[in-house]
Amino acid sequence: MDGLLNLWQATGIANFTIPTLIMMAVGCGLLYLAIAKGFEPLLLVPIGFGAILTNIPVAGLAEPGGLLYYVYYIGIDSGVFPLLIFMGVGAMTDFSALIANPRMLLLGAAAQFGIFATLFGAIALNYVPGFEFTLKDASAIAIIGGADGPTAIFLASKLAPELLGAIAVAAYSYMALVPIIQPPIMRLLTTPQERSIAMPQLRVVSKKEKILFPLMVLSLTILFLPSATPLVGMFCLGNLMRECGVVDRLSNTAQNELINITTIFLGLAVGSKLAAEHFLTVETLGILLLGALAFSIGTASGVYMAKIMNRLSSNPINPLVGAAGVSAVPMAARVVNKVGLESNPHNFLLMHAMGPNVAGVLGSAVAAGILLALVG
Amino acid sequence: MDIGALLIEAASLMLTGMIGVFVFLSILILAVTNLSKLAKSDTEVPIVPTKHRQLSNGVPSAHIAAISAAISQYRTKQ
Repeated sequence: MDGLLNLWQATGIANFTIPTLIMMAVGCGLLYLAIAKGFEPLLLVPIGFGAILTNIPVAGLAEPGGLLYYVYYIGIDSGVFPLLIFMGVGAMTDFSALIANPRMLLLGAAAQFGIFATLFGAIALNYVPGFEFTLKDASAIAIIGGADGPTAIFLASKLAPELLGAIAVAAYSYMALVPIIQPPIMRLLTTPQERSIAMPQLRVVSKKEKILFPLMVLSLTILFLPSATPLVGMFCLGNLMRECGVVDRLSNTAQNELINITTIFLGLAVGSKLAAEHFLTVETLGILLLGALAFSIGTASGVYMAKIMNRLSSNPINPLVGAAGVSAVPMAARVVNKVGLESNPHNFLLMHAMGPNVAGVLGSAVAAGILLALVG
Repeated sequence: MDIGALLIEAASLMLTGMIGVFVFLSILILAVTNLSKLAKSDTEVPIVPTKHRQLSNGVPSAHIAAISAAISQYRTKQ
């Protein structure tokens, strides 16, 4: 009888608690969004499955000795995985649109206002009972507005590891929701005439410029913002491998095999942070709310900046391209193209939006570096 | 620390952060603009003025070019 009782005690059914069941349902929800709706499937599948594995009673996969614990410890606690992903992203990024029209960097800078405004909002949320965000927590939450997964995970792992699960889930969910969040804001802030502005064709960029660009970005980061060099450095390494043309094998590995392997483990490690006791808090709700706010403010400030630039510049600038400054490459640029086509079916803005789009990646890495330097 | 003081700190962080991002990316704009000038001056091929040579049979090369363009256009249409 004792044996049977012990066996019963070792089953999942006897050990389930309501919170773990809720978290497993959240994991299933993420899997559903990824598989049925196609929302960021590359990340939400491992994150969702990781959430299920983490909350299995008795097995303790996310506790010391468990697989997910070590994956998190090796990959995210150390900051290695997000940086490897960033190298792959660098190897996938083509900067020609930005080099051809460098003023687009201003749009990438303006969209970062979403980050800093949310930082303020997160602290203001402390007036609501139940919220106790420190400046570090607020900075880690605010970086969701950078719309850049690896940057958000990197900064959260340094500033607020206990909030990492919620921050990563919010960041990737909102990135998948860019086609739903951005268009209403873009339409609200622009007139149909502004939306149909055609932009002059971009010039051809030489190979030499493309090779020198990552080296120059790195040199400036070394000089002015060394705290951003982990992110910017790996990004520039990936980009240099892509553009220099002599290490195609390494470039291909960085943008295919390596980033895929890292993505599996990064997703699992983020999933390991979706344990019921950390995730089912009122703070998670606040983070989800602030994340949406950060995306919206970033989009709006990008569009406003583009409107100002359009007034001042001799070359016309379609205000819609400002919305791509939030990064979320290449989704945000595609959304700009789509909204632009609605107003003018002959106006293809994709290449013009890629400039602010990749500027947004640099902008959010710079913003992360500033937050690390000032708060970390 | 009370929330008011934290808010002031957050506001100053917002200001310094935005100034920081703008200054850094503006420096980058200057650098990229200069980079393109530098790279362009190196890659630009000096344009050699070409003289309209007369072929031995007396037909100007411009005429031959126009005729061959018309032929190729006709062929592509078929």
